[in-house]
Amino acid sequence: MNIEALTQLAQFEVDDRAHIVVDKDICRTCDHRACVDACPANCYTWDEATRLLSIVYETCLECGTCYCVCDKGALDWGYPRGGYGVRYRLT
Amino acid sequence: MAKSFDVICVGAGPAGSLAALKLARAGKSVCLLERGSRPGEKNMFGGLLHHTPVLNELIPDFAGHAPLERHVYQKTLAFLTDESAVSLTFESGSFDRAPFNGFTVFRPAFDGWLAAEAERAGALLLTDCTAENLIIKDGQVSGVTVKGREGELHAHIVIAADGVLSLLAKQAGLRGDLRPAATGLGIKLLLGLPEEVINERFGLVRDQGADISFVGATGGMRGGAFLYTNRAGLSVGLVVHLDSLTASGKPPYEVLDEFLAHPQVRKLVKGAVPLEYSAHLIPEGGYKAMPRLYGDGLMLAGDAAGLCYTNGINLEGINLAMTSGVLAAETAIAAIEAGDYSARFLSLYKKKLDASFVIKDMKTFKNAAGMMHRENIFKKYPRVLANIMERLYRVDGRPRSRLLRLVRREVLRQVGLKDIIADGIKIGRSLL
Repeated sequence: MNIEALTQLAQFEVDDRAHIVVDKDICRTCDHRACVDACPANCYTWDEATRLLSIVYETCLECGTCYCVCDKGALDWGYPRGGYGVRYRLT
Repeated sequence: MAKSFDVICVGAGPAGSLAALKLARAGKSVCLLERGSRPGEKNMFGGLLHHTPVLNELIPDFAGHAPLERHVYQKTLAFLTDESAVSLTFESGSFDRAPFNGFTVFRPAFDGWLAAEAERAGALLLTDCTAENLIIKDGQVSGVTVKGREGELHAHIVIAADGVLSLLAKQAGLRGDLRPAATGLGIKLLLGLPEEVINERFGLVRDQGADISFVGATGGMRGGAFLYTNRAGLSVGLVVHLDSLTASGKPPYEVLDEFLAHPQVRKLVKGAVPLEYSAHLIPEGGYKAMPRLYGDGLMLAGDAAGLCYTNGINLEGINLAMTSGVLAAETAIAAIEAGDYSARFLSLYKKKLDASFVIKDMKTFKNAAGMMHRENIFKKYPRVLANIMERLYRVDGRPRSRLLRLVRREVLRQVGLKDIIADGIKIGRSLL
């Protein structure tokens, strides 16, 4: 299955406030951008043309992988406000 | 919202809810704080609730009430190469009767049930509440601020059962950042499959369940894959070390896809329908990576305390979490009765944990985390085993070797003398 189909299996209560914010300037100088491949929900995208790292926090599974593999201090990482974010029903 | 309690348990997972239950039963005022809109909706694990004596003591007839899927009757350890599987299966009548060794469960269902039991005992469950900051007065933790339903909650003691990332433990200075080498990423796909198909496919009857651990199924990364049977579905997924994952440059869901496409796995999941996908981190550093467990007015329990270990055969966390939650609650009860919430008094928690199976097991396998970093275990030994089995069974007109000679030749060819000695020492120090 592709990752879009996988994340669509989960339910999300999307907050209009992002719970993860990336510092695009730091990401531009990052030598590995491990978050892009390691994120199990494929939330991070690196655009080589614009040299911009973008994040889609709306389908974040709140696992903390990015927080753990980012060694540049580029992430302002927190849990969503209470009641928002992923909602597992069965897992 | 500004209220005071004897104790605030942050996180309505197995550790927090059982701590709250224990405290409420002792007549203490306790608030159980949960960031989800329902307990369990943020929680995920592979699938196996181990037999946990404290759960049975607090809720004696728990198996009759808790939402359980199947009791695990059949345990299999399987080593995979591209096209082979070498498996060892244990089945016994002793796993088919009470006390059952473990049950497969769904966390939203099980955690929801456990939190409701805590509520029934008198705990106040507040959902939609993310604990954001510890309130610290004169060096003493005295509550938390809440994001969601904004406000402050005060208490003599905070039990941080806020999970593997425990931002509260970090704030309190009890631990630093999680190291990728000491952290596993677990991802899981829940599949729907009719009950009778599962029973027939895995050779099960009634509520019997199967648990299969796979080595060599993670694309060369250090880790493993798992399959658990639920009543009418399968939980399949993998766990990989974060440093190994980032070194590979491969997304984890692609590794999962490859695992599911393996010929010996594909036939097990054939016809199953994807229902839900989830991910979670696991503290895999073992005893040596544990944080400090308490401070003034604060105790850590469950994943927040790093209470989890794997030695390649056992993978335990939920039973350690629930036991630590109860021991933290016992300590809090004693502290409230003594009117002393200092770190010095709360060191009693550490003493209780040290005396329990929790720390004893973590210590027994304290070298296992190091063993799990030997790449050969995941990259080469599955191949060695498969080649030996193939040579044992293959009939091709070539003269046979005796077993020892066959094993020696295969090991030397695949692994080399230096590595086999180094691996042997690591494995020996971890398990023997």
